[in-house]
Amino acid sequence: MSVCLKLTEATIKFGGLVAVNKVSFELKQGDLFGLIGPNGAGKTTCFNIITGVYKPTSGEIEFNGKLIGGTPSNKIANLGIARTFQNIRLFKSLTVIENVVVGGFLRHKTGLFGAMAYLPAQIRETEKLRAEAMELLKIVDLADMASARSADLSYGMQRRLEIARALATQPKLLLLDEPAAGMNPQEKEELNVMVRRIRDQFQLTVLLIEHDMRFVMSLCERILVLDAGTEIASGPPDAIRNDPKVIAAYLGQPA
Amino acid sequence: MKFWLGRTGSILLAFALCAGIQLLADQQSDFVQRLIVLAGLYVTLAVSLNLINGITGQFSMGHAAFYQIGAYTAGFIAMKFYAGAKLPPELWMILSLLTGAAVASVAGLIVGLPSLRLKGDYLAIVTLGFGEIIRIIVQNQPAIGGAYGLSVAPRFEMIWLVWLLAILCIAVCRNLLKTAHGLQFLAVREDEVASSAMGVNVTRTKVTAFLLGSAFAGAAGALLAHFEGFVSPKMFTMDVSFIIVTMVVLGGTGSITGATLAAIGLFFLPEKMRDLPNFPLGNLVATGIGIVIMVIGFRHIAANFHGKMVERVLRYLAILAIAVVIALVLGPIVSKLPTLGVPVEGAKLRMVVFAVTLIVLMLLRPQGIFAHHEFSWAWLRKVLRIDTDKKVTA
Amino acid sequence: MAGLELSTLPQQLVNGILLGSIYALIALGYTMVYGVLKLINFAHGEVFMIGAYAALFASWGLGYTPNNAMSGSNPINLLIMLLASMTLCGLLGVLIERFAYRPMRNQPRIASLITAIGVSLLLQYGGQLFLPSSPAPNIDAKVNPYQDNITIPLRPVDGTLVAAAKQLEAKQIETKTAFDGYLERTKESPFQLSAAGQPFKKAAQDAERDLRTAEGKAEASGLSIRLPKGQMIMLVTTVVLMALLNFLVMHTKPGRAMRAASHDFDAASLMGINVNSTITFTFLIGSALAGAGAMMNATFLSGTKIDTFFGMLPGVKAFVAAVLGGIGNIPGAVLGGILMGLAETLVVWAGYDSYRDAIAFIVLIIVLLFKPGGLLGSNKVEKV
Ligand SMILES: Nc1ncnc2c1ncn2[C@@H]1O[C@H](COP(=O)(O)OP(=O)(O)O)[C@@H](O)[C@H]1O
Ligand SMILES: [Mg+2]
Repeated sequence: MSVCLKLTEATIKFGGLVAVNKVSFELKQGDLFGLIGPNGAGKTTCFNIITGVYKPTSGEIEFNGKLIGGTPSNKIANLGIARTFQNIRLFKSLTVIENVVVGGFLRHKTGLFGAMAYLPAQIRETEKLRAEAMELLKIVDLADMASARSADLSYGMQRRLEIARALATQPKLLLLDEPAAGMNPQEKEELNVMVRRIRDQFQLTVLLIEHDMRFVMSLCERILVLDAGTEIASGPPDAIRNDPKVIAAYLGQPA
Repeated sequence: MKFWLGRTGSILLAFALCAGIQLLADQQSDFVQRLIVLAGLYVTLAVSLNLINGITGQFSMGHAAFYQIGAYTAGFIAMKFYAGAKLPPELWMILSLLTGAAVASVAGLIVGLPSLRLKGDYLAIVTLGFGEIIRIIVQNQPAIGGAYGLSVAPRFEMIWLVWLLAILCIAVCRNLLKTAHGLQFLAVREDEVASSAMGVNVTRTKVTAFLLGSAFAGAAGALLAHFEGFVSPKMFTMDVSFIIVTMVVLGGTGSITGATLAAIGLFFLPEKMRDLPNFPLGNLVATGIGIVIMVIGFRHIAANFHGKMVERVLRYLAILAIAVVIALVLGPIVSKLPTLGVPVEGAKLRMVVFAVTLIVLMLLRPQGIFAHHEFSWAWLRKVLRIDTDKKVTA
Repeated sequence: MAGLELSTLPQQLVNGILLGSIYALIALGYTMVYGVLKLINFAHGEVFMIGAYAALFASWGLGYTPNNAMSGSNPINLLIMLLASMTLCGLLGVLIERFAYRPMRNQPRIASLITAIGVSLLLQYGGQLFLPSSPAPNIDAKVNPYQDNITIPLRPVDGTLVAAAKQLEAKQIETKTAFDGYLERTKESPFQLSAAGQPFKKAAQDAERDLRTAEGKAEASGLSIRLPKGQMIMLVTTVVLMALLNFLVMHTKPGRAMRAASHDFDAASLMGINVNSTITFTFLIGSALAGAGAMMNATFLSGTKIDTFFGMLPGVKAFVAAVLGGIGNIPGAVLGGILMGLAETLVVWAGYDSYRDAIAFIVLIIVLLFKPGGLLGSNKVEKV
């Protein structure tokens, strides 16, 4: 299996605060990898430097053999990394299906001037993107909400819509930031199944942040634990579960 | 094949409509003709600003500057080249329109650059500043008439072209929104970080919106210059930018239909005031009190009444009736008071009425008249079926 | 370029600071409101305009009407005008907030911005119906008891040049009496001279011109700063008001509530701070300060014409001052105001008189592009 994503001593500072401190890890093609840690540990910030929201202060980020640290977000999306957001960031006043179409837009081939003239090529392309979006909505079980305003969806639905929107970019690597937050146990169970299914169906590599231990442990094959920006443990779920440092970090005691 | 037939049909229809407007306008007085032209230009200005403000969400308040640049460009090239060019007026006008649009869009590019770093009201104030700087610079160039202005020869009265431009501007925006291309503009408005994570080139989208919006404003300026036969910096002050922004926001941010109708409405409303007779100050005070009562009543109903649509409308009408009666009865009474009996010039009310409309509409319907809706037959049917409960239940 | 006359620079710097202190007073209102509500109070300039009218009416009430020749005045008159202006503006600010901004508080900020523009237009054009504006009135300069200047010499005048000018004076008097005598004799009008009179006139004019040139030279050889007493009082008042504001904000309960609300609006309301009364307080203070600025501007910069658009440019410039200092930051507004005043006088001094109103925007754009948080503000990155 080839390496998909590799972080080497990735570091970012905000003023005096070192939010991510020399974090290194490696994801193989097809991995289901979990990133956990207490609040403020720097997990979301890791996503942000991988997806080009922030530029890492030092260290390297490699995606499919290419250094991507500091590349603008939209270029990274084009390279094949898609993400969801912890604090849901949908295009609120757009409809559900329009949200997904925006995700697919990076594959457009027709020009803007044609769109202003509403030429057949652009019409066909729009129809094709809508059809693809509809397929994705079926996968996340939102097909019957396609023309609702996305802000009107329930919390769990919004999280699933974010996943569909990310999938529309046809990524190779999918980053999910707390996808189960705010869901009830049954929804979590369905999500668990869904993440596995989309991983297999689209041959994705998945990197996932989650607070719910049971959820991560049952879903991920490998886990990395961050605390105050630094890695404190990594390995398969069973090893992590019993690691004293991890327990201490979660219970807030000095290790 | 069917597509191209339909397309040719709608283009012909647009031309026929413009020809119709021209024919109608030809019957009218110079004053009415001028109103028809200005209304068309304001439609173009509002709809093009809507692309920047409403659709892409970049709050720009310097639209008058692009209008001005278009107007001065047209005036300048007419002064330099018209006599030598010996072109038929229509062709010259189209060239001048394109030049005005091109030069204005260069300015649009420059003004758009801050939008890459600034958001919301900061961007608003910077674009406002750019507009003023451009006006002050023009005012200090003796070569183009300085503060006195520049006369533009020849005058053309192509009313059809004014409205053709307006229709073109509406069509371009509508077409964009019907394709996936348009969605990226909306996405940038909704959330820049998320759009960019979805691969949307936020920078390019914003700059494109500014380029397109300012190009249309520039074209409108070129038409204005040749219609009036004269341009001066006074025609493009901050107030003009405010009026255009108001049209966009009142129409409903992002709604092309809203921008179009608000442009026409807000343009004619103050014009109608010009021939208002003088009346005692007391009437004005009474009307003010009536308006306050109406606003308070309407807001109260909107916040507290959740019954049937029909009952709700009845309540609104009742409040309106009370407000009108109070204003009518109170007017003559308070005018008896010595200080409130002095006459007021009706014509001075133009901008006052404009300002009051603005405040009242914002207080009663902050999302704008059309909110984010567009006119379509399907939408009209939906509204007429009167469904009070528009929310989708999850 | 008319002239980068270095000798006039110190005087210009002083003028800049005096002008800047008015901008600072207005800027405080913008900054305080923005700090709490994150709203650009577009109508603030119009509050300033109403303040000038309040001062004007107060001065009329005190008897200083255009057709009433008053002699002399006293500080009490000034105080009455100041209080009238501050009270009226404070009330107006509170009213505007209560009826135009509060109902919009849960709406998108753009909607409040449009309402603010509406209020501003309403005061500008609605004011024309009620307030005297054409011809634009001005406050009678006589209401200001401090008419004279304090002169601070920096470099004494050159004695030899003064002596040279003195010598020319005799010649000037001599030719002038000769010309006057000629007119007396012939009963000719100085504008319709016969050929015989022309040499007299020319001699008188030449001598006069030489004298003035020499006097000018002598004066320019020295260097002094002229401080109009009235404007000094303006500066002192500004400083006192700012000290009061500082006390109010830092050491009183409403002030603390205001700081809390501008730090985190929602948290403040959760902590039991009465947000509504805090906002009312903010508008009251901010608008009263604008009123003070307006009264002093209209009184001490004598001859200032007042119309209903009087507040527009100072309003815009003060807003820029607030942004320059870091919007939401009170010392920043003062610093920004002074810098804006200096920038404006320096542009005029450098001979670009017609760009004096553009400089505000140029400064604004530069600041926002390169240091969007302002000089004393912090640059915040959006957290994702
Ligand atoms: N843009 C930013 N500016 C300053 N500090 C930030 C920024 N983004 C994140 N941080 C800080 O970095 C730390 C890690 O945050 P985050 O990655 O969101 O934590 P989590 O592990 O809960 O996702 C926090 O202390 C947060 O306050
Ligand atoms: Mg997080």
